[in-house]
Amino acid sequence: MSDVTTASQHSDSAEGIPAFGASSGCPDGCPEYGGISRRGVLRGMVAAGAVTTMFGRTFTQTSFAATRPSAHTLVVLSLRGAADGLSLVVPHGDPAYYQARPRIAVPSAALLAKDGFFGLHPALAPLLPLWKAGKMAAVHATGLPVPNRSHFAAMEAVEDADPGSSARVGWINRVIGADSYTNPLQAIGMGMSSPITALYGPQRTVTTSGIDAMVINGSDDAGRTRSLNTLWSGATGILGKGGRAALTAVRDFRPVHSVRETPANGAVYPDSHLGQALAHSARTIRADIGADVIAVDHDGDWDMHQGVGTLDSGKMRLSAKDLAEALTAFFVDLGTLGDKVTVVTLSEFGRRVRENANQGLDHGHGNVMFVLGGGVKGGYRGRWPGLGTGADDDLAVTTDYRSVLAEVVTRRLGVSAATAFPRFAPQAVGVML
Amino acid sequence: MVTATTIVPIASVLDARSLLVINRFTGGWTPALGAEVKRAGGIDRWFARQLTPSLISDTFYNGSAGWWRSNTATPAELRSRAERGIEPLWVAVANYERWSLVRRMHSARQVQETMAAFWEHHFHVPGGADAVGSFRPSYGRTIRRLALGRFDTLLQAVTTHPAMGIHLSNAVSTKKSPNENLGRELLELHTVGRASGYTEDDVKSSARILTGYRVDLWNTWKVWYDTDAHWTGPVQVLGFKHANTSPDGRAVVAAYLKYLAHHPATARRIARKLAVHFVSDHPSNALVEHLARVYLANGTAIAPVLKALVASSEFRGSGGRKVRTPEEDLIATYRALGARVLAPRSDGSAANAVLWQCDQLGGRPFAWPRPDGRPDTAEAWSSVSRMLNSFNVHRTLAAGWYPGKDVRYRTPASWLPGRSVRFDRLVNHLSRKILGRPSTALLLQAARQATGCRDGTIITASHPLVQWQMHKLLTVFLDSPTHFRR
Repeated sequence: MSDVTTASQHSDSAEGIPAFGASSGCPDGCPEYGGISRRGVLRGMVAAGAVTTMFGRTFTQTSFAATRPSAHTLVVLSLRGAADGLSLVVPHGDPAYYQARPRIAVPSAALLAKDGFFGLHPALAPLLPLWKAGKMAAVHATGLPVPNRSHFAAMEAVEDADPGSSARVGWINRVIGADSYTNPLQAIGMGMSSPITALYGPQRTVTTSGIDAMVINGSDDAGRTRSLNTLWSGATGILGKGGRAALTAVRDFRPVHSVRETPANGAVYPDSHLGQALAHSARTIRADIGADVIAVDHDGDWDMHQGVGTLDSGKMRLSAKDLAEALTAFFVDLGTLGDKVTVVTLSEFGRRVRENANQGLDHGHGNVMFVLGGGVKGGYRGRWPGLGTGADDDLAVTTDYRSVLAEVVTRRLGVSAATAFPRFAPQAVGVML
Repeated sequence: MVTATTIVPIASVLDARSLLVINRFTGGWTPALGAEVKRAGGIDRWFARQLTPSLISDTFYNGSAGWWRSNTATPAELRSRAERGIEPLWVAVANYERWSLVRRMHSARQVQETMAAFWEHHFHVPGGADAVGSFRPSYGRTIRRLALGRFDTLLQAVTTHPAMGIHLSNAVSTKKSPNENLGRELLELHTVGRASGYTEDDVKSSARILTGYRVDLWNTWKVWYDTDAHWTGPVQVLGFKHANTSPDGRAVVAAYLKYLAHHPATARRIARKLAVHFVSDHPSNALVEHLARVYLANGTAIAPVLKALVASSEFRGSGGRKVRTPEEDLIATYRALGARVLAPRSDGSAANAVLWQCDQLGGRPFAWPRPDGRPDTAEAWSSVSRMLNSFNVHRTLAAGWYPGKDVRYRTPASWLPGRSVRFDRLVNHLSRKILGRPSTALLLQAARQATGCRDGTIITASHPLVQWQMHKLLTVFLDSPTHFRR
């Protein structure tokens, strides 16, 4: 067992305590954390006490600070595979869109929530109540400042979001590192087996395939817990940290298991991976275990090199429908709790303006980002660059995706843009109230 | 009371380097494998033999192929079975994944199976997509057959295989509008990588070269080379140039793929990927350069690269540096427990259930949703749910609770080295059996905590530990950081 590891864990738990105070890391008074109730602080202390009893001597070796409530939760939803933003939020007022897509363009007459220029894909219909309530925004022509047509390099760049640094630290990790709270449940990758790049970094985080996975079978036998603590308390490297984070997280995650599985308010999630991930996210938020950021992936068949299709066939209507139904169920399920929650969607890049021979779309550049829920100023946002119809024409990026994220994390999590996105000067997008 | 009769001989182990080669290049240590290495005359001779799979019996592969009809059927037969309602394609694909797992558990050709899995992840084609389904088992068999041959041969076979063509849209690409999907990933993922500096024009040329390999999707499913679909005219990708005047572009494709396979950037990329899988998450540039030179000097032959890797001092010093992926953990756990998967007779049979276990643990073998293949680093596989899922599966298997059908577990008493043994000596014996190395003070402490036994407790077949709680003790070794690494 390494003394060094043990010592640093002591400091983990010691540093955790000031996070309960209103003044930590927020000179401007940071309303999110200032509002934490005394009950929350007490609850955290009771939990810590229970842990001391349960884990005995190993408490100081393996524990983090107990959880505290979150004032706001940011849900980062990644549409993997590069979704076609021009199909999701259609620029019907740009004639080039229809010229470039003779077979797969969404007819103007079919669009929803139309204004003079944009309209939503009909498969997004379930989201209309949120849209009409002014709780959903679409920011068009967003993305990386320079085109990157590799899925993997683009995801890496989007999620690292710090081109000036070679350190592999994701932007979500920087966001949760802004305060002195160190519980790994502060950021959760939900519905995934391995962490996404945005979560990577020095702050410990939790990635889980779902709520059901957050248990240790047989831990009613105290010997099992004790022996696991012995095995992992001094384990080295990333694996050792993972083992200790697991033993801590499973303890602090317990309130989530008590939240009933049936969604509230009659919400019905689609029977899809995304539906499940968001249902589990809602339960987690309801349990109030201090998850400031939840990351969810939508591996929704978005890489549509072929078969984007029409309103009656093909892939786009199905992927868009799954996305809309899952997000709608999520906010219905959350009810008034939804005011605490803001969802932002990202995709690594957008797709070419012109359709290819297979009713598909090859890799492009600009895309749309959706922002939904608490604190959002609804409607269409962004500056339209105009489309071309050449084989290689992209939707140009007029809004760096970090400007959108910066606005959300600043307003909702009280984390400065400089912390989340170093060396980047965000533009005002106007997507948050 | 400790008496002389409790001093029973305990299991033997190999030296550290031999154990390292075994843990990196097989499904995991077993005492039987240790004996096999000794019989072969040492680890280097054993490894050289494994690199020539024709010397080794393929009984398990051939026998287990018949466990599922779909693993020996042609693509046309698979589609016909699906159409007649006998077996949906997704089940055929699931059966292929099951087969890939049990092969890695029990095949005598352990290194070939390890490399087959390595290349199946490198040339990743998820089986889930309907259109790929009927071609996926054939794709996997092709890769396994070529897994220890030459990379240029392998590249040719996978790039022109209908499963790859369908997955990355080349099967529907035309000269009028070449689809860029495969042309790009061939460069970025399969060969030279982005560091080679190819441009978007290179991607376009790459896509044009590949046009012509068609599949008549959702219709006749004919697989053919379509001279009407091949883009003609001069092409250039990096240093490769061709006039490409013939409507039959297959010779151009062969020349292009050979160029890519022998490109120094491909050599470095493959060398690095092998080093990341078999040495450490962050191999030195010196090792990568060395392996790349061996790769090129041997005409892209794979076995010499693996020999050079194993001979390197960096490999020798890399013990404990690799974290097992969930599927590697599952395979190693079956092996460590001496659990034998038998021919399946029902859905609940171990050979079928193992796929759901793998899914629960972190994902089915070839279900990674993106073309880059599943990650292979400690950062990716030390997540909270991975750790918890592993703890849970270890315990379930150690107790023999699930799966319960058509699998042979060891009896608790069979783990005892003799009629009666001190607890601390039993722990040492089990550590050698399960982990291939002597016990440590930490393991012994964890074992005491898990079981309530003391070092001097005398364990016999009638002791409550053996009667009721052996799984608690076995789980300690499986849950230890050592078993999470390879």
